[in-house]
Amino acid sequence: MSEVQRKKYSDKDKNSIFDQEFMPHIDSMYNFAYRLTFDEDDAKDLVQDTYLKAYRFINSFEKGTNAKAWLFRILKNSFINEYRKKSKQPSKVDYQEVETYYNSDNVDYNMTSDLRVDAVKDMLGDEISNALNSLAVDFRTVIILCDLEGFTYEEMAKILDIPIGTVRSRLHRARNLLKEKLKAYAQNMGYDTEEE
Amino acid sequence: MENNFDSSNQRKLNCSDASKCFKLLESILDGQADLESKAVLDEKLAKCQPCFEHFHLEKAIREVLRTKCTKQLVPLELVDSIRQKIQDLK
Repeated sequence: MSEVQRKKYSDKDKNSIFDQEFMPHIDSMYNFAYRLTFDEDDAKDLVQDTYLKAYRFINSFEKGTNAKAWLFRILKNSFINEYRKKSKQPSKVDYQEVETYYNSDNVDYNMTSDLRVDAVKDMLGDEISNALNSLAVDFRTVIILCDLEGFTYEEMAKILDIPIGTVRSRLHRARNLLKEKLKAYAQNMGYDTEEE
Repeated sequence: MENNFDSSNQRKLNCSDASKCFKLLESILDGQADLESKAVLDEKLAKCQPCFEHFHLEKAIREVLRTKCTKQLVPLELVDSIRQKIQDLK
């Protein structure tokens, strides 16, 4: 993504790329921004900044390539550089500890969950959303990119500037954390989550 | 050996290589695996109960995330505001 040779688009080309390749993703972009910031105004600012940067740097975008991944990468970087610092709800998570934990690619896939499939299927949209929103931002992000937006591991690695192995292991950990949250909801709903 | 089979469906009750299997199952659900892996998957689902359960739970979680997460509507003024700012840039 970063090694693309710079283009020299005419104003007409720029407008056409912007309208036909960038703007169709505004819905996904706004929802991504909202799920990162949990604030309508911050989400609007973040999306607007992203589109302005996209326009300003349009010559480093190759027409017809993956605009959505390119835009998501800009949005993610803007969020980290500008919004995370002034976040209204500072995270209680000890980032040092989390970084060490989730940046290791050695992940135990052996862990099973006693959460039941029918309990998951009966969950309400609000419960799923709340469970997702309660995850630390880096775990939340990989789930949004993969499950809600359908990016491949390779695209996610480029958007997040991390190796594919780390995408895979972070995603696995994120889903395990999500299962723990969903299990708590399932227990509240009266589902038996214990194994015999 | 008999204890390792569920009498109802003849699947193994223990997976001898759960770590590797679960990693593969998750890759397949994320659309990352090739056709060869998918053939391995079919065999595992037919023969191994822990793999069968893990696959269906992971699948259900991906489905509810994709279909049930609440979505925000893009504020109407956002598109106009972006276009205006771009005009100002020019």
